[in-house]
Amino acid sequence: MTVNDPAVFAEHLVKRFGERRVVDGIDLIVPRGAIYGVLGPNGAGKTTTLRTLLGIIEPDEGRRSILGHFSPREASDRVGYLPEERGLYPSMKARDAIAFMGALRGLDRRTGRTRAAEMMEAAGLGHAIDEKIKKLSKGMAQLVQLLGSVVHRPDLLVLDEPFSGLDPVNQEKLEALILAERDRGATVLFSTHIMAHAERVCDRLAIIAGGKRRFEGTVDEARGTLPSRVRYLPARPQAGVAEVLPHDATPDGDGWRFQLPREGIEGLLVTLIERGYGIGGLSIERPGLHDAFVRIVGRDAAEGEPA
Amino acid sequence: MSNLLRTLRQAMTIARRDFIATVFTPIFLLFLFAPVIMGSFGAIGGMGAASVADGRADKTRIVAIVPDANARTIAEADTRLRAVFRRDEEAPPGLTTLRPAGDPAAQARAAFASKDYEATAVLYGPLETPQVLYGPRGKRAADYLGLLAAETLAANRLNGDVPRVTAVKTALERQGGSAGNRRQSASFAVFGVFLLNLFLASQVVGTMAEERNNKVIEVLAAAVPLESVFLGKLLGMFGVAILFVGFWGTIIAKLGSLLPPDVASALAIQAAVGTPAFVVLFVTYFTMAYLLLGSAFLVVGAQASTPREIQMLALPISVLQMGMLALALAGTARPDGWIATVAQMFPLSSPFAMAGRAATSPDLWPHIAAIAWQLLWVTIFITLGARLFRRGVLQSGSAKPFWKRARG
Ligand SMILES: Nc1ncnc2c1ncn2[C@@H]1O[C@H](COP(=O)(O)OP(=O)(O)O)[C@@H](O)[C@H]1O
Ligand SMILES: [Mg+2]
Repeated sequence: MTVNDPAVFAEHLVKRFGERRVVDGIDLIVPRGAIYGVLGPNGAGKTTTLRTLLGIIEPDEGRRSILGHFSPREASDRVGYLPEERGLYPSMKARDAIAFMGALRGLDRRTGRTRAAEMMEAAGLGHAIDEKIKKLSKGMAQLVQLLGSVVHRPDLLVLDEPFSGLDPVNQEKLEALILAERDRGATVLFSTHIMAHAERVCDRLAIIAGGKRRFEGTVDEARGTLPSRVRYLPARPQAGVAEVLPHDATPDGDGWRFQLPREGIEGLLVTLIERGYGIGGLSIERPGLHDAFVRIVGRDAAEGEPA
Repeated sequence: MSNLLRTLRQAMTIARRDFIATVFTPIFLLFLFAPVIMGSFGAIGGMGAASVADGRADKTRIVAIVPDANARTIAEADTRLRAVFRRDEEAPPGLTTLRPAGDPAAQARAAFASKDYEATAVLYGPLETPQVLYGPRGKRAADYLGLLAAETLAANRLNGDVPRVTAVKTALERQGGSAGNRRQSASFAVFGVFLLNLFLASQVVGTMAEERNNKVIEVLAAAVPLESVFLGKLLGMFGVAILFVGFWGTIIAKLGSLLPPDVASALAIQAAVGTPAFVVLFVTYFTMAYLLLGSAFLVVGAQASTPREIQMLALPISVLQMGMLALALAGTARPDGWIATVAQMFPLSSPFAMAGRAATSPDLWPHIAAIAWQLLWVTIFITLGARLFRRGVLQSGSAKPFWKRARG
């Protein structure tokens, strides 16, 4: 394989636990340099998919390659990983914890400690460099662990539910860090069940539910699976306007709501003006990623397993 | 980087962490000085016993009822003879001389009732045909009094001109030590290997439990193959062992050079294979025993998810380990018996038994075979351990141990 290969490639991945196919034939291609989201409700199989990709567990079927290696271990020094269940040694100092994580990935300790201090300063954690992990708040410990997963400057960064457990301020820091990693040239693959973050940072995403991939594409493409909605307010409300509007139009206060017709809205607007209803107000709303997500996985499934 | 190098590097990273985490704790100081603590308990007990004994020793006496003319000669003879006794407790009680008065036999009996001292043996009558009375535990003192009588008589005959002979003394090394000494070395070897192992193996499980509890295990497992994690943990604790042995080895060596040479040689390990080979073998078998038992403990640690479960599971292993020790000790008691052979073959007892064998039998080739055999088992244990570990820990965050999962 060459550098032009995708950062992550998976073909028909299957992982069974007992009789249950928790990962059920997933295909995935994460281009190099992309920020890629794996979205799905709780219990969809996101964590299991990521662990299988990283070689923490072996798939029962299918193949995968990481940075061009079919055996993920071969690439382990160029990969960073933040597991869903965070964990650091409580009695280690923050900078040592970061250096330790780097050392596991082949970074020499001295460099690790230097970078750890720099990165913590940059992330506004300068005061905690020599604090023991057990003295840090949960969110701070999580940021420290995140720094530990990038201290060796990996080519691929895998984050499992990175936003959960962070307050809004730290969530913003995390978004910035993900973007910075991408700008450095890394590929970022992360899972989440919260759409807002994905919507803001992802270049591409896959939506999985019940262990199957239901969608793959850009955020725009995901939103494009749902038609935009139109809200129309007549300038001169008169009976009979409903006959002109599409069949799915429903009254909404003084106005109406309906799906954006496939052929566009221009013809309809012309008719409305000619017939004298006029345009009192008009807005075309693109659906959010969340709406698309609910539509793709189904309303019940979107709720997910009780976490 | 080659795979082997990478595995080693990763293992060393983990080993270093475990080493530091173990050594820089107050518990470790307790462990490091455990021998002192145990030793001082022993010493306090010993001192108590000694002071009781001293109290009595101060007052016990051997008594010679001799005329004044002989009193000085017998005292001098006592000084000369007493010099050959190495330690106080071996020497006969101090000598008291009494002037004969009235019936010597009655006087001798009366000496046993004296309030000033506690007589163990009393001599009276002419030195040529002395009579000696002795009480319980006074038989040796009685013999000694007989010897004193003869010595005094000889000195009298020579008019006090006892020849002074100074022998030229040359110490001769005894090759390989006596059989009894060897067996003692053997048990010592086996026991030493065992005790250190017990501590270390349980310590390994402890760090394992810690990692499962605080979820670091996933960080490790993602970055490093489980075999490296395993190896790293074993190496880390081995570092602790080396620190421990090195610390006490240095102290004992320093103390040893301060001791008088004859005492030191009495204490020295006497092994059939020769001391240098024995030290090498001892270290090797220690390592093997440690790797085998450590990996067995690791497998257990991997299956359990709470410290309580670990304790529960560690118990059977400790019992098993005791069994192995008993087997190996039984083997060293009869080095040629079938029990010894079984103990040397069975993988878990083999290191103990072979360490014992190194003390009692001079052949080297069985050790080469045994080490190869044990290495094979170490590999099997670590590989198997890593596999079980993967099943136990890493299927998911909410993984159940395999015996529970089997039931649903
Ligand atoms: N080792 C395991 N044994 C049995 N079931 C598991 C195991 N690991 C995960 N699961 C189940 O697989 C499903 C998917 O889990 P997971 O991959 O963690 O989903 P997500 O990360 O999307 O929430 C869940 O129902 C979970 O309970
Ligand atoms: Mg998950």
